[in-house]
Amino acid sequence: MSALAPPRARTAPRFEPRARRLPLGLVSLAAGAVLWEVVGRAAGVPFFPPLSEVVATLAAMTANGEILGNLLVSLGNLALGFAVSLAAGLVVGTAMGRYRRVKAALGVYVYALLTAPALVFAPIFFSVLGPGQSSIVAVVFMYSAFIMIVTTADAVEQVPAHLVEMARSYGANEWQLVTRVILPAASPTILAGVRLGMGRAVTGMINGEMFIAVTGLGRIVTQAGKSFDGAAVLAILLVVIAVALASVALVQFVDRRLTGWVPDTAKESR
Amino acid sequence: MIEISGLRKTFTGQDGAPVQALGGVDLTVRDDEFLTVLGPSGCGKTTMLKMIAGLQTWDAGEITVGGRPVRGPGPDRSMVFQNFALLPWATVLDNVAFGLRLKGVGKAERTERARDLIAKVGLAGFESKRPGELSGGMQQRVGIARALAVEPQVLLMDEPFGAVDEQTRRLLQEELLAIWEANRLTVVFITHSMEEAVLLGDRVVLMSARPGQIAEIVDVPLDRPRSSDVGGLERSREYVEITAHLWDRLRDMHEEHRAAPSEQAVR
Repeated sequence: MSALAPPRARTAPRFEPRARRLPLGLVSLAAGAVLWEVVGRAAGVPFFPPLSEVVATLAAMTANGEILGNLLVSLGNLALGFAVSLAAGLVVGTAMGRYRRVKAALGVYVYALLTAPALVFAPIFFSVLGPGQSSIVAVVFMYSAFIMIVTTADAVEQVPAHLVEMARSYGANEWQLVTRVILPAASPTILAGVRLGMGRAVTGMINGEMFIAVTGLGRIVTQAGKSFDGAAVLAILLVVIAVALASVALVQFVDRRLTGWVPDTAKESR
Repeated sequence: MIEISGLRKTFTGQDGAPVQALGGVDLTVRDDEFLTVLGPSGCGKTTMLKMIAGLQTWDAGEITVGGRPVRGPGPDRSMVFQNFALLPWATVLDNVAFGLRLKGVGKAERTERARDLIAKVGLAGFESKRPGELSGGMQQRVGIARALAVEPQVLLMDEPFGAVDEQTRRLLQEELLAIWEANRLTVVFITHSMEEAVLLGDRVVLMSARPGQIAEIVDVPLDRPRSSDVGGLERSREYVEITAHLWDRLRDMHEEHRAAPSEQAVR
């Protein structure tokens, strides 16, 4: 957006009432649930039980404490891995976006690791870090860090040059420039990357728990899979989806708090 | 006092060919003078302003402000930008206090000074608004308040009213005159409007393009304060004559440019 453009409208016209969005989501969920139930009953195969059976299994697993204990283990892995990724994403991404030399030096590795299937590193982590929490954190990092590095770098590069020039004219040093101008200006795009990173971190968490260190929700899935307990596998899948949605909602909550200044018209286009 | 001597700058153009933006500029700006700089696009007037601000390097020559050579931005100079360059996430108050905050002025003091300047530019009551909620004219008032908040000796204005509509522009001109008349400081004001240059300036520096050079410096012997009777001033003989003279010169420059179309424009 050019700063020369006239000021944007204070409130964007909304052609769709806000109230209609939520019911539409619920209708979609309900339709999915019905479809699952019908297909599950019609198929009659053990690996795809109907929804009602899955929900009953989930309730039983919740009642005997199996879910909660493992969920907390998984959330701990997720939080730690994501925190490390986020820190790396902000620091490395900002450095890449701001300094051409850093980008030239690191860019090829970051893009390589962004597209590399993160699980191929699992044996390495297993050998080096052992089957403990550090391996899972490493897998979460491999899944989520690089997308945040890349989006942060892009966001920083796109900060309007006139804002940087303005801050320099008031004597801003490099630290002030980054913390007071560049990161706030880049925050809408950075947070879009953080949202993607959060989703990938959940995937990394469950994969790490299934294939490296058998703990948390991943352990239940693995055990249930080995005993061909389709209902338990899908019950855990529901829990994982809930974790993913909740964590992304958390990012969106932070996003709204931090980027309330972005005009609605600009928001709709991203 | 600003002293500029032998200032030269050559850029590399988009096609790789060198473009001489400034071809040896000598200029003295007196203390508390309101100097306006006028010229066709490509005459290097903004480049020169950014050099005084310490935002742009040059190849040869020297700039001193108050006797000290310019080596970078400094607290003695502050700049007002054509596109306002406000922080869109910050309130009017925080935008105005931005320069003070960078200098480490405490919160209570910078808030007080910012409020004071916000009132001075006529934006009292808008302290907690964000730039996106303001009109262009109001945004530039914030830009001016921000520049004055750091109490500079020199105010550098880069076509500050170029991005607002004509009516707002006239109001802003009168307000700027009133602020400056009440609290004098050295101003270098870049514009592409002859009327604006004459209305505001003690002297008008006319620059020519390719290479950017000073073509003429025109004295504006109009009485001050001017803010109280801008309309009468614009009907005065001197105003009309100086404006007409500047237009004659500018038109000649444009015709020369048309005669040499191969030359490339610099900003």
